[in-house]
Amino acid sequence: MAFLVRFWGTRGSIPTPGRTTNRYGGNTSCVEVCIDEALFICDGGTGLRELGIDLMKRGSQSIVAHLLFSHMHWDHIQGFPFFVPAYIPSNTFYIYGTSPGDRRFHNLLSGQMRSDYFPVDFSELNADIRAVDLGNADRVIDGVRVRCMEQCHPGTSYAYSFEKGGRKVVYATDNEIDMTLPDAKAVQADLAAPRKIPDDLVAFVRDADLLIVDGQYTDEQYFPKHVGWGHPRATTAVDLAVQAGARQLAIYHHDPMQSDIQIDMKIAACRSRVQAFGSSLFVFAAREGIELRIDQ
Amino acid sequence: MISQTDDDIRLTEETDIPVIPVQPYHRPHVLQQVRGPLSPQLIELNDDTVIVGRSSEAQIRVPSSALSRTHMRIERYQGGYRAIDLDSSNGVYLNQIRINSAVLRDGDTIQLGNAVFIYHEGK
Repeated sequence: MAFLVRFWGTRGSIPTPGRTTNRYGGNTSCVEVCIDEALFICDGGTGLRELGIDLMKRGSQSIVAHLLFSHMHWDHIQGFPFFVPAYIPSNTFYIYGTSPGDRRFHNLLSGQMRSDYFPVDFSELNADIRAVDLGNADRVIDGVRVRCMEQCHPGTSYAYSFEKGGRKVVYATDNEIDMTLPDAKAVQADLAAPRKIPDDLVAFVRDADLLIVDGQYTDEQYFPKHVGWGHPRATTAVDLAVQAGARQLAIYHHDPMQSDIQIDMKIAACRSRVQAFGSSLFVFAAREGIELRIDQ
Repeated sequence: MISQTDDDIRLTEETDIPVIPVQPYHRPHVLQQVRGPLSPQLIELNDDTVIVGRSSEAQIRVPSSALSRTHMRIERYQGGYRAIDLDSSNGVYLNQIRINSAVLRDGDTIQLGNAVFIYHEGK
């Protein structure tokens, strides 16, 4: 079995090109999950443009991919109009809703290509682009079990998990876990203490080989200025990963104000927390251009 | 209040200064081996692909049983290089992350077995 994860865009909110963000990258959310012949694309931020270019270079006569969106905020959809494979007639793309008959994501994606926003209309895309859904949030697609879960974000967002052959990857971005903590006041009073994560989220992530999770803010950034903005402290993501028994944690959706050096510092704080918990969890910063093999 | 008249404005006089051609400074991409057999050494990356391993066929040979015969390929990518694990036994670690492949950035640390390299981007 081949189970690969590729990061094409790891930045949150808005693209951040420039010298200070060169290492982790400036493109917004886009992750490719390849499990044997099945190709899943998580979010269509500006990183999707480069993924499209790469897919074209792979030489497949017809690309079939399943597109799963956390939500429809700009930084998660802006790459779609520049996704070259969508213009090729032999390709097929499935855009998933999260409940039976749900076509919201398909409709909103096509809406961003109205002539007011973009010169090419969605109807002019030559690929076969279909609106489908995940049924009751749990479906097997090309031999891969795909589940989704609603998260805490303005307008709501969704996490997805991918499981096959005893391996599991969870993609959970734009989730203000801190807002869902049952003891939020106690957390603020003692940032070093373990934070009780809601049971349903822990169960969803349970035993993931790789958890890709929103870790936009440092402790200092989060409170009080960014409370309610839809993103957690990176350190709270650590508590989620530890409590769920995840093996690797990729801190994702980096704040656009964070330089490479500041991301390094954010990860250092996360690693200190892991060490304090006596956990073997490995934490790293998601970075454009890396490919991980999950089946090792 | 200070008023400005035309007499106060001094324009730069036209001159006949030739544009001097400048030779751009070129610095190659480099792998700096900092740990392991044969270190320290600097290896310029000039070829499109370079194999690193313990085999005598590898362009960058590291005589260590901790490395596979052909452990990693470095290949040109978007003006720089990327590293690809060639199904090695002990893996390729980029800044401590075990990767299958990665686009390299200036200052990256790459560990193969007991050999450690630092990638320096050229220009």
